[in-house]
Parts: sequence; C-alpha cells; structure tokens
Amino acid sequence: MIHVHQLTKQYAGRTAVDGISFDVREGEIVGFLGPNGAGKSTTMKILSGFMPATSGVAQVAGFDVFRQSIEARRAVGYMPEMAPLYIDMKVKEYLRFRAELKGLHGRDMRRRVGEVMELCGVTDVRRRLIGNLSKGYRQRVALADALVHHPKLLILDEPTNGLDPVQIRQVRELLRDLRTQHTVLLSTHILQEVENACDRVVMIHHGRILANDTPHNLSSSLRTSTIVRMEIETPDKQAASKLEAIPGVRKATEEAGEGGWRSFSLRVEPGHDVREAVQATAAAGQWRVRELHRELPSLEDVFVELASTAEVPRGARV
Amino acid sequence: MRVFWVMLKKELRAFFVSPVAYVVLALVMVLNGFAFRAALAILESSPSEGSIVTWTFHAMWFWLSYFFIFPLLTMRLFAEEKRMGTFETLFTAPVRAWQVVGAKFTAACVVYAVLWLPSLFNFKLAEWVSAGQVEVPQGAMQGSYIILLVMGMFNLAMGVFASALTSNQIVAAIISFTLSLGHFLVGVFVMAVGRKMPDMIVDVVNYFASVEHIRIFTAGLIDTRPIVYYVSFAALFLALTHQVVEFRRWKP
Repeated sequence: MIHVHQLTKQYAGRTAVDGISFDVREGEIVGFLGPNGAGKSTTMKILSGFMPATSGVAQVAGFDVFRQSIEARRAVGYMPEMAPLYIDMKVKEYLRFRAELKGLHGRDMRRRVGEVMELCGVTDVRRRLIGNLSKGYRQRVALADALVHHPKLLILDEPTNGLDPVQIRQVRELLRDLRTQHTVLLSTHILQEVENACDRVVMIHHGRILANDTPHNLSSSLRTSTIVRMEIETPDKQAASKLEAIPGVRKATEEAGEGGWRSFSLRVEPGHDVREAVQATAAAGQWRVRELHRELPSLEDVFVELASTAEVPRGARV
Repeated sequence: MRVFWVMLKKELRAFFVSPVAYVVLALVMVLNGFAFRAALAILESSPSEGSIVTWTFHAMWFWLSYFFIFPLLTMRLFAEEKRMGTFETLFTAPVRAWQVVGAKFTAACVVYAVLWLPSLFNFKLAEWVSAGQVEVPQGAMQGSYIILLVMGMFNLAMGVFASALTSNQIVAAIISFTLSLGHFLVGVFVMAVGRKMPDMIVDVVNYFASVEHIRIFTAGLIDTRPIVYYVSFAALFLALTHQVVEFRRWKP
C-alpha cells in the first residue's frame, strides 16, 4: 500500500528525512514513532502529495505521489497535524464540501457524510460552527474528512495530539474499527499509543529509520539489560553482594524499602533469566520474599536505547 | 470541472458569510453616491459635453473607492488558507492548482460585479426622477461597465497573485494596493507631464493608462485594445499565481 525507497527531503541546508525506506502492506496499522522534529510530518506530507521529495521513491496504492499525484491523492485520506479546518463553516457543511471536492456527489455524498459523522461521533455537533468546537471535536471532524471518500489508505499525523485521555481512547477504538477497511499509517511521539494500537512500528530519529518491527519483537529483541525487581526481608548485610554473585547479575542496587522490607533491583546481562537462581539464593539465606519479577523493556526503553546508539548525522536538527 | 464549481460555491459562500463583501459593498455605495452627486452638480452648474455617466466615473470619489476594492476582496483568498493551515488540507485533496486559482479568481470577479449593481440603479433613478432631462446614453453605459469589468479582472488577478505570495493578509493587501495604484499612477503621471515628453512614450504609456481608458469608454467608445490588454494581463497574473501555488510541488 505504501512503498518508500531511499526517500530524502532537504530544506535549505537541513536534511529532514535522510534516505528512508519502508513498506506498509494492505490492512496494516503502522505507527510512525519518533521525537518531535524526527521527520515524521515531513514524510507524511510527501506521502500525501503536499510536497515533493528531494530524491527517492514514494508510492501509495501503486501510484507515484509526484507523477500520479491526483490518483495518489484520491487513494489517501490525510489528516494533517493540528487538524486545520475552515472555522467559518458548519460541520456538516464542511464535510459535504470536502466530499464533493473529493469526487462524491448527490445522494451518495449525503449518505456518506452522514455515515462518517456517525462513525466519528460528530453527528450531535453537525450544525455548529467549526470555530466554536473543542479541540477534540475538531480532531474528529478532521478524521471524518480523511475518511469521507473511502480512501484505501489513511495517513494520520498525530491524531491524538491535544486530546484528553478519554478522547485518546475513543480515537484508538475508532482506529481499531477502521482496520478492516483501511490501511493506516499514523504518527505519534507517544510510545504507549503505538504499543496499544499498531501492528508494526517504524521508529525514526534524525530523519533515519532506527527500527521497523512489531512492538513485541522490538521489546524482546532488545539487546539491552533487563531489570529484575525484588522485595525481601532479611537482616543480612551481605544480601546485595550475594545477589551479585549469581551468574548473569551485573549489579544489585538496594533501593528505599518500606516497613522493614528491603527492595533490590538487579541489572541482568542480556540473554539471562536469573529469577530461579535468585529464588534459590533467597531460600539458602532464609530470606522472606514478597515480590520477584522481571521487567520487559517498554518501547520507550527500546527507543532511548536505539536513539542513543545511533550516530547523529551532520546537519540534523537536535 | 466539477472541482472548479465546488470551489467556486465555497469561495462565494465565504465572501457572503464574512462581513467583507458587505463592508466593501457599503464603502463602494457611499463613495459612488458622492461621485454621482458630484456628477449631478457639474451638469447642474454648467452645460457640458459629458454625460452623467462620464462625470460619475471621472469623479475623485470614484477613484477613491476603486483602489480599496481589490485588496479587500483578494487579500484573504490564499493568505488565509496558508495562515490557517487549510492550504495543506486543500491541496492534499485531489484538486489541481488551476481549478483552485480559477475558482478563487472567479468568485472575486462575481463579488466585484455585484458591487456595481447599485450604480446602475443610480443612473436609472436619475433618468426617472428628472423625467428624462438627465440623459443616460446607452453607449456610455455599456462602455463604462465593460471597462469597469475588464479593469476589475486585471486588478483582481494582481490581488489573487499578491495573496498567493504570503500567509499574511495585511502584506497581501499592501502588495495588491501598491500594484493597482502604481499601474494607475503611471498613466496619470504621463497625462500630467505628457506635453514635455516625446510622442512615442506618451503613445506607449497611453496604452496602459487606466484614466485614458475610462475617458474613452465612458464616452461610449468601445476600443478593443484596452480590453485585450486587461484580459491578457489578468491571464498572465493568474498564470503567475498558478506557478506560485504549484512551486511548492516543484521545489526540491
């Protein structure tokens, strides 16, 4: 559905996107993840046909976004960052205008506008001026606009930006409903969001792709140390060094405990699972254990790890 | 073509929903009321060769209102879309630049044409109230409204161009005003010092002197040269606007 190969975009002396390549298959929800200024919006603007790349190939639904711009734009429902809308129009009026602009007309157009208003939950504000709507409603009007012409592909730039937690959950559920009919590429800088909603994550940093995999694979393949946390009760002053003696434990740190319980966090070498050995050590020392668990790295850890190891290209925006 | 009509409908609606069209209409009606009164005063005080139509479109009041029309009607067209970010939503829909430029320009022309309807009523009223003593010659009427329309198209095209250059409406208005007034003043300047200049320069400048065109057309002479001049330059400025809008897509 999306094919991007060696895509580069330079603004006067600054490289925003630096030779990225990735593909999105039909029916996937792909999260585009990176800090602000990583090149997410730039890539999306290129894919939506708003601006050209400096070099490289970008295709959506088999159409080149530059040479077959009109066909490509017909296949894409794009929601820009900040959801810009005509504030002097009413919701229904705006959606009808957009639907007509995208080639729907007559009864089809009216029915479809009714459908997307219902789907995005803006039916109850359809007669209100967009300028008087809250941010959450505007975001949903923009989403309805992106959906109105049955696009095969949805490109959503920060669809949950500026929404409250309830609204974020609504948008996430909406995206889940849409996956049967649309392929979705959405960008965000909130890691938890892609962990919850996406089949695949493309991590981008300084205009380069750091990783491209499922959220689960990213977490488990991370070649970084895991953490084991435990809470024990023992007068043993040597507890920390006994724990460090376990093969695979790099470092045991005692943290603030409560009510006589002592809390340790063990940094473990990659590829080791030390939980059973820890249990054995505790039993040998007759420690009372009330907690022992391993923390899998979150996408946030993956991202920080990848971003810190990736070299920063010259001229990149920091 | 459908996109053009959809855009035109939306642009016309935007004009008449916002106060802009009404403010401009009120301004033009008031100032042309004065122009009309001044023309009546001239006819009253001295028997003259000009008609009521000629004197109305020669009054200072007419020119005073004239140059405010174009910046006010066109400054919003592209600048506001750029400022609000809707420029991006608009051009990621399957629309072609010429459809958008054409629709915005046409909408401005329609509003501009509406501005002159009250003045038609003024002339009819004069004829009716004076029981035919004030003569409103048909040729002068036709000539006047033809030249007003083509001059309007030319100036509106410059305004649309100015609006596409910036995301700031005030800047767009100033560029538009400067282009329109500058073009006009070149003609006035030559008329003022014309006798001291070589004939050839005067002839060339007369070709684009709006004052001269108004003089000829309001007398009832319909000359095709100014019509061709204004229409082709309007087309040129629209083509430039198209390039400015499309430049975004071509710059590497």
